[in-house]
Amino acid sequence: MGSYVQQVLLSSGAGAIFAALAIGLVLTYRSSGVINFAHGAIATYVAYTYTSLQNDGDLPVPPLPNPVAPIEGIFGIEIFDFPAFVSMGDGWNQWLALIGALAVAGVLGLVFHFAVFRALRYQPPLTKVVASIGLMLALQSAVVIRFGGSRPPPIQPLLPDSVRADTADVLGTIVPWDRFVLLGLTLVLTACLWALFRFSRFGLHTRAAAENEQYATLMGVSADRQAALSWMLATLLAGSVGILVAPTTSLTPVNFTLFIVPALGAALLARFTSFWVATFSAVGLAMGQNVLLYAEIDQEWFPDLNLDKVLPFAVIVGAMMARGQVLPSRGAVEASRLPPAFLSPWRPGLSLFWIALAAAVIIWGPFDYRTGMTNSMIGAILALSLVVVTGYVGQISLAQLACTGVAAAGLASFGTQAGIPFPIAPLLAALAATGFGLVLALPALRVRGTSLAIVTLASALAIDELVFRGDGWFRIEGVPNREFDDPSLFGIDFGWQSGFPVNGDEIPTPAFGLFVLVVLVLIAIAVVRLRQSKLGEQMLAVRANERAAAGAGVNVAGIKLAAFAIAAFIAGIAGSLNGYKLGAIKIESFDVLVNLSILAFAYLGGISTVTGALYAGTLFSSGIGVVLGEEIVALGRYESYAAGVALAATAVVNPQGIDGFDRAQRERLKQWWRSRRADRVIS
Amino acid sequence: MVAIPTRRQGDLMTAVLQATDLTVRFGGVVALDRVSIDCRSGELTGLIGPNGAGKTTLIDAVTGFLPQNTTGRVTFRGLDVLGMAPHRIARSGLTRTWQSLELFDDISVRDNLEVASHHLTPIGAVVDYFRGTAVDERVDDTIELLGLGAVAERWPRELSQGQRKLVGVGRALVADAALVMLDEPAAGLDRAETVWLGDRLRSLVEAERLMLLVDHDMSLVLRVCDRIHVLESGRLVTTGRPDQIRDDPRVVAAYLGSTGGRA
Repeated sequence: MGSYVQQVLLSSGAGAIFAALAIGLVLTYRSSGVINFAHGAIATYVAYTYTSLQNDGDLPVPPLPNPVAPIEGIFGIEIFDFPAFVSMGDGWNQWLALIGALAVAGVLGLVFHFAVFRALRYQPPLTKVVASIGLMLALQSAVVIRFGGSRPPPIQPLLPDSVRADTADVLGTIVPWDRFVLLGLTLVLTACLWALFRFSRFGLHTRAAAENEQYATLMGVSADRQAALSWMLATLLAGSVGILVAPTTSLTPVNFTLFIVPALGAALLARFTSFWVATFSAVGLAMGQNVLLYAEIDQEWFPDLNLDKVLPFAVIVGAMMARGQVLPSRGAVEASRLPPAFLSPWRPGLSLFWIALAAAVIIWGPFDYRTGMTNSMIGAILALSLVVVTGYVGQISLAQLACTGVAAAGLASFGTQAGIPFPIAPLLAALAATGFGLVLALPALRVRGTSLAIVTLASALAIDELVFRGDGWFRIEGVPNREFDDPSLFGIDFGWQSGFPVNGDEIPTPAFGLFVLVVLVLIAIAVVRLRQSKLGEQMLAVRANERAAAGAGVNVAGIKLAAFAIAAFIAGIAGSLNGYKLGAIKIESFDVLVNLSILAFAYLGGISTVTGALYAGTLFSSGIGVVLGEEIVALGRYESYAAGVALAATAVVNPQGIDGFDRAQRERLKQWWRSRRADRVIS
Repeated sequence: MVAIPTRRQGDLMTAVLQATDLTVRFGGVVALDRVSIDCRSGELTGLIGPNGAGKTTLIDAVTGFLPQNTTGRVTFRGLDVLGMAPHRIARSGLTRTWQSLELFDDISVRDNLEVASHHLTPIGAVVDYFRGTAVDERVDDTIELLGLGAVAERWPRELSQGQRKLVGVGRALVADAALVMLDEPAAGLDRAETVWLGDRLRSLVEAERLMLLVDHDMSLVLRVCDRIHVLESGRLVTTGRPDQIRDDPRVVAAYLGSTGGRA
């Protein structure tokens, strides 16, 4: 029993990190309505800045585009280059480094507010989510570019050695002192924030501005200034946490960024309002995790299903479902406003042109074009699944990638292991994904908006741990090559290496690419047809207004379940295709960051239309758009950084996505042409 | 409750909707306190009361939007609807409009009505997906009835406030609803628009459409309704014909407060 007490006490370090991040999330949300997925990445960036200043006296400069790059490229000369680091003498004293790093944190907060989130004040939550995901990717990649990937840098702790090395004896348990110091600091921070919001004019003004910006402005409160100050405060907070806890946890770009998930859970339990609830939920989550982790080792009967990782998410999902309402209450702001789901007239000539072009690239293109095209087509299918669930019904799902994983695992079981032949095995796999999608849909019946995004992310992570890792049902870890048989029908093979009359000896052969193209065209037509059907009409009604839809006789729960099921089926098809392409399941495919970026790119392409999904497909990493882009600008290791910046920039400049922008431009062109013709008739 | 003679004596006893002892609680606040009202066939029933009287709460409770907060008994055409899901109540023929409009802003006016006209079942959805469904004449009829033909293909946000109100009414009417509860249809309309709307509603009653008109604009309700319920602070004050209501001192007091009593 004593060991369990020790686990609870030891977890206070992790609890302090989660809590400190969680109150930062609450702060940003209360002042600017943004759920900041980049909060953990900010902590990472500032912590790395601290180590760099302290070890070498170098201030990292985030990668910036070289304005004279085209000239340099053409003439093969180097005129100008932004420095990677600004050297500021030798290694700094730790307190000076702390001040320097926190100054960087403050600047980051101001930049985020003025460059990104101020412009997004009146945009729907999904746009803000996408912008913050963009910033998260950019910051995280900036750290990787400047400091390299995995090895934690040496770091001089802020706490004096006497505190860190000392231990305390609590109820017969030995616990390092620094855990208590961290926890105590977090509690003090929480109390400060609570008091600031409760008693100070700053807090009153921020609350007023968040409640009703117009009235607050009339009363002489600048909502803009309040939000800017809060952003700065939040980034300072994140930075301090990063610097404080970096020595006790291993500081790597990914690890640290991902602390955001439990922190989001705690903030969600606090409804993004109460600092105290956020802190205590975070500490509770960390304790639960540690106890379960220990139980898995300690108790023989306890299943090794990574329950320590699953439970917090299960708690979040359960609590949110218990608290949620089947229909939003009266006066609740419905937050679905998404780009319009245009239904364009069918233009067979244009469609055939694009299909022929894709086929030509698949057959005759060079290697990276062929693979890029195939990746893009599979990505487009995944984006189509988001068009159904997010574009048509307005439910933000961050779990579509988990559906592809279920299907890929299903394909391995049904196809390779059970020997079920081709068209049936992937269809069964997609049905397995559909079942999984229906489970994911359950929270959506009671939770909406950005909360749903977090809950789906939590469910995806929980089920990912439960199903794919540890002793889970599929046990992928440690089984590197779970191979798939090539698909074939009526004696014709169309696998990655199957023969083909043209370019048949080059891998990947055109056979597989053409097969994926056919599947993509079929699914695209199916999704367009959905938009035309009564079911699609009712989906858009649910997206627009759940209460009114129910009042008009629409079965809101049924429509949501149908959308999640259809979307999971489509994602399942993408998963099977990906399995055939890779020949094996890769565990990295289920990364949280990848999950987030898929939604972000689908949004960037245009989340409400089939055309938008096709754009999104070209944008995905290692897709055809990226391959083409490399011809113009060789991004190399800057790819993910550029993608993050582009995401945030697009959310600000063009929140309708590429498809919406494209339509608007075409409409303007048409108007211009009409007015020109009209002028000519008059003259 | 005293039976009040109406214009159509023959339909006197047929209560299409009967709510008995309807109570709605939000935590410690009692928003509706044992309210009993009915709507009878052939009548345009009114429900009036000052702001905060519980008018919209009553509609919400009857149409199934407050399942956790409501007790009492509501029968609609002999069916016990309390506890049923809102969409099932709507499908049974008891529909409503919203004070704050709540139209589907992303789809055309015609599609707004189409959504409500078609009660989709899982099998129906699959059949429609593959084979399509015949054009619903009721949608065209309703558009014509409400004079929305010119704007049928436009998006709701492109319409005037009065037209938007009518789209809401049309959406509630289109599925052959047996009773439509209209939540403050005149709110935000000017005098002329209100008179025009009143005439439209009257003509709908002539077309045998039953309605419960909820408004705090006394003049509209007194002008077009056959029988009126009066709510104040969650309690039913009285029920009667317009002329009875107009002269009832309790109604005057409810609307004007204590100064009304002295006036």
